[in-house]
Amino acid sequence: MKVVTGVVGNDIHVVANRLIDLSLRARGYEVFNLGVNTHLEEFFDAVVETGAEVLMISSLNGEAEGWGREVPLLKSRYSNLDDVIMMIGGNLVVGSGNTEDIVARYKKYGFDLVCHQMDLNTGLDMLQSLSEERGIA
Amino acid sequence: MSLLQEEREIILSNEYVDAFDFAEVAEFVSGASKNLFISHHFRERDKMLVQPRGGFPTYEQQYALYEFFVDANVDVLPLTVDSNTRLNDYATAKKMLRLSEENDMDMLNGYPLVTHGYRTTRKMITHFNKPVSLRHGTPDARLLIETAIASGIFEIEGGPITYLLPYSKNFPLDKAFLYWKYVERVCANYSQLNEPINRESFGPLTATLVPPAITIVIQLLEMLLSLEEGVKSFSVSFSQQGSMNQDIVTGAVIKKLANHYAQQIGCDDAMINLVYHQWMGAFPANEDFAEQLINLATVIASMVGADKIITKTRQEATGIPTKEANAKTVADTQYSLRILNGLPTVVDEEEEEILTLEVRAIMEAVFNDPADTLWRKVFNSIKNGIIDVPFSPHIINQNEMITIRDARKNIRIIERGNVPIPERCYEYERSQCDLSKDTTSIVNDIIHDIGIMQ
Repeated sequence: MKVVTGVVGNDIHVVANRLIDLSLRARGYEVFNLGVNTHLEEFFDAVVETGAEVLMISSLNGEAEGWGREVPLLKSRYSNLDDVIMMIGGNLVVGSGNTEDIVARYKKYGFDLVCHQMDLNTGLDMLQSLSEERGIA
Repeated sequence: MSLLQEEREIILSNEYVDAFDFAEVAEFVSGASKNLFISHHFRERDKMLVQPRGGFPTYEQQYALYEFFVDANVDVLPLTVDSNTRLNDYATAKKMLRLSEENDMDMLNGYPLVTHGYRTTRKMITHFNKPVSLRHGTPDARLLIETAIASGIFEIEGGPITYLLPYSKNFPLDKAFLYWKYVERVCANYSQLNEPINRESFGPLTATLVPPAITIVIQLLEMLLSLEEGVKSFSVSFSQQGSMNQDIVTGAVIKKLANHYAQQIGCDDAMINLVYHQWMGAFPANEDFAEQLINLATVIASMVGADKIITKTRQEATGIPTKEANAKTVADTQYSLRILNGLPTVVDEEEEEILTLEVRAIMEAVFNDPADTLWRKVFNSIKNGIIDVPFSPHIINQNEMITIRDARKNIRIIERGNVPIPERCYEYERSQCDLSKDTTSIVNDIIHDIGIMQ
């Protein structure tokens, strides 16, 4: 299964990005890692280009909130992205916030899986379950 | 007119520079006090030099910071440049400086040197009459270092690799090499007028599980790139790694090999110094613990035999430190150095041999690249993964090498990628680690190993 991943926006926090890459490969995914400082358009373009089944965006500095809002509009400009599993994780707000509210907000932006300040492997287990549920694992 | 001088005139006719007077600057450097040159202090002093970090937006704040440092008995003053200037965005730096001056609020994370200009800054530097070190992180530092030297700042940190791979995703590495060649040449030329301008490489890199072999190779290559342009005083550096023994071994090998390779290119007249950075990774939030860590680093720097130590502060975990906290570290470090007497000599021959073999093998692979100049060989070696820096965000970096800590907290290479670590060394490194674990446990170990000091 193919995954496009990277860190959204002007965020240069690279450590988790490398560890996500490593963990995904260990679980047998084919990984297309766009690295840090990646714009939303680049993610969608890469999904189209690679035919990935999963788009996994991460954010540490909290600016995903700003980018997240633009997801529905941008996604609507692409065709055939409806079946892509959209996942976002990391530190998804600036400051602190209630996890339930944050998850609900990002689901509205179109993300299937929202992992706010969650352990990496718990998040990857969630991805596994969802892809099995959808019969693409 | 030489090509270099033509390029200098173009760089210095920048709209943010107020009429650069080449002749006046050369005259200033020629007659400058020896005290401003760190190379002079390296030669004359027998104690480790202490240098903090620090830069504030306004002239008054920077001046006040220096007063605190001088009271704390500082040896070398820092001038840390703001991030807009680092990215050559002088317009934003200028705007943010005005906002900082008008609102009593810091809108910049350092001193915007180009915006203040050399005429203003020189007043401060010559007033304190201490060596100043330029700390930045700029891939294209041509205008910045011209301004620095004209201001009386005679130590320039950085390099094409060490200021790019840890900081940037896609600034072109080949351009960085050419921009830094300019820096080396300008430093070399000014060095002929008085004491040498010292160049210092930035050894900590990403400060995230970088194995000593990679650190040393990059230090040696930046040293050679600098010496071959005529620089006569150069500092190699590295940061506290997490194991005292590994630091001592790294110090011994880097000193030995720096002299060896300098000699090989006929530059044994150059002075090579060793700089040690107190822990550059994530700090404990507990400020008392932070001070313990800082003190431990000072002890290790003494064991390593560093010529200069660069300090952290108890506020490291929380953001940009106050001038009070910064000065306190200087005073504390000076005190530790004064009472650290009668240190034992520690030599680990086996580890030294392994590390030496690794460094030599990588250096040989770089030299064997078919390109015609050293910088092109180094460029190709980074591109094809002969040099691979763990956790670099740059697109050119290979990211195939994996490192973890062994039971004694030494950083070990468990996946070498394309880096030509000799078989025997690779087996040794791997034999120190538990490799039976699955990737999930290894990832958890890496997370733990990065945050070891928290």
